[in-house]
Amino acid sequence: MGFISRLVNVPSTDPDDARRRKLLNFLLAIVGGLILLTLIFTFFVDIAGAEEAGLLQSLYLAGAVVLGGIVVLFFINRYGPGWLASLLFVLLFTFAIVFTSEPQLLLGEYMFYLTIPIVMASMLIRPGASYVIASLNTLFLALAAQQTQVVLPLPGVLGFFLLALVSWLTAQTMEHALHDLRDLNTQLEQRVRERTIALASANQELITANKRLEELDKLKSRFLSIVSHELRTPLGAIQGFAEMLQNEVYGALSPKQHNALGRIIANDERLLNLVNDLLDQARIEAGQLSLINATFPLQDLISDMESTMRVLVEAKKLYLRIHVADAVPTTLYGDQKRLQQILVNLVNNALKFTQQGGVDIHFYRPDEAHWAIDVVDTGPGIPKEAQSYIFDPFRQIDSSSTREHKGFGLGLAIVKQLVTLMGGTVTVISELGQGSTFTVILPLIAPQQEK
Amino acid sequence: MSDKFALIIEDEEDLATIFSEALKAAGFETEIIYDGAIAKQRLHEVYPAIVVLDLNLPHVDGNQLLRQIRTDPRLHNTRVLVATADAGMADMLDDEADLILLKPISFVQLRTMAERMGLAIS
Repeated sequence: MGFISRLVNVPSTDPDDARRRKLLNFLLAIVGGLILLTLIFTFFVDIAGAEEAGLLQSLYLAGAVVLGGIVVLFFINRYGPGWLASLLFVLLFTFAIVFTSEPQLLLGEYMFYLTIPIVMASMLIRPGASYVIASLNTLFLALAAQQTQVVLPLPGVLGFFLLALVSWLTAQTMEHALHDLRDLNTQLEQRVRERTIALASANQELITANKRLEELDKLKSRFLSIVSHELRTPLGAIQGFAEMLQNEVYGALSPKQHNALGRIIANDERLLNLVNDLLDQARIEAGQLSLINATFPLQDLISDMESTMRVLVEAKKLYLRIHVADAVPTTLYGDQKRLQQILVNLVNNALKFTQQGGVDIHFYRPDEAHWAIDVVDTGPGIPKEAQSYIFDPFRQIDSSSTREHKGFGLGLAIVKQLVTLMGGTVTVISELGQGSTFTVILPLIAPQQEK
Repeated sequence: MSDKFALIIEDEEDLATIFSEALKAAGFETEIIYDGAIAKQRLHEVYPAIVVLDLNLPHVDGNQLLRQIRTDPRLHNTRVLVATADAGMADMLDDEADLILLKPISFVQLRTMAERMGLAIS
């Protein structure tokens, strides 16, 4: 197949030229094949001795001449101008018909054969060449008519030109269609190339953006640890020095000086707590906060919370009552520090908003698989619409309360996120003027149950 | 050198001062070292009853110093208080500390601890 295709196809920069040369090669091959068959047939007839030697000899000669012509045309078609080869072929074909036919036959039955080169000319040379061949044929017909003393058959001549017209239109239309198709193909290729380039650059942008995000993430982590260290260290130092002064390490203080130091320490502590809250929030958002679980006595959780809250409870003259149901195990499993943070946040909030009465804390078992904490206060209550967002970060009931109660509104958000991290839930039930109840429900995990 | 000698190894000058004052208030004589490499050298020369040890130190880190104290038979009575801001780091110590204090460390808290240890020592 490769050999035939190489033999038939002629490399050319003009696709129309290449198509015509290929078509001519096909025709040459077909005609050459027919001639060969004829020669073989003649040879057998010769052996059989059925015909006279003179006729056979002229047949041999004609066959050999035509075969030689085909070979010459093939080489012109391959190495010379394609139009010349095609023109010669069409002319050869026409002459062969004209000069091998009797003039009477040419004007009669054989006239039909003359239509073939008209169509061939449109396909092989150029669409308009059909008219030239039609004219040539008309000339031959006229010569034949003159020779045989008859009138030129006008319907036949008209037929030639009609065929030339149809053939011209057909070839023209086909060439236009092919041309459009090639244009379309070129456009498509161009578009594919453009899209590929656009896609590659979009991909590159994505890779770059992704790298930047990764860098930003690393930067955020680094920022967190730096802030953690750089903010907390001086805050700790302020606390330490103030405590030293307050403990009269550097000499006795007046009551007013004591009072001022107390305020320094209280404010420093507030700032430290805020920094810690911000860091917790940032760590939770970055998914860097992990729980450190261990077994611990429930009593530790309670007494740590009580000692943290004692000052506030006494200052506001409120009560803080603890109720532990019998069903709650004395030893629990979980992250004690974070549970402490949850409890202190909730109780601190409850105490902050309560002016009269106090806070009840209930530890109980809502079902076999869980333990729960209720923090019940006698404060002003939380409006219904606010209950939907009090667990969102940086939200407080209204902006004026931020000033009054001091803080970013992160406490409850951190509680919610920590409880979620522990696989539990936190909810609130509240009526205006009836106080609030915050409920934390946590799974009861046996130490060996984890992982 | 008295029985109640405390070595404070902490690179933050302010914190070191607070630790030192807290230990002095608890009746200890104190010395502050700001650099891990110097502390490594100094631990061969002194017999501290208490070492307050920061973990993040220049040149030689607290974990290595803790190992040195724990492997030195001369210092087997020395109590080590590890002071760190990072609970995770305190969890990864190779040797056991007597006490782990999470920063920020309160002056009163440290003084109370030191007093208790001082009583136990004398």
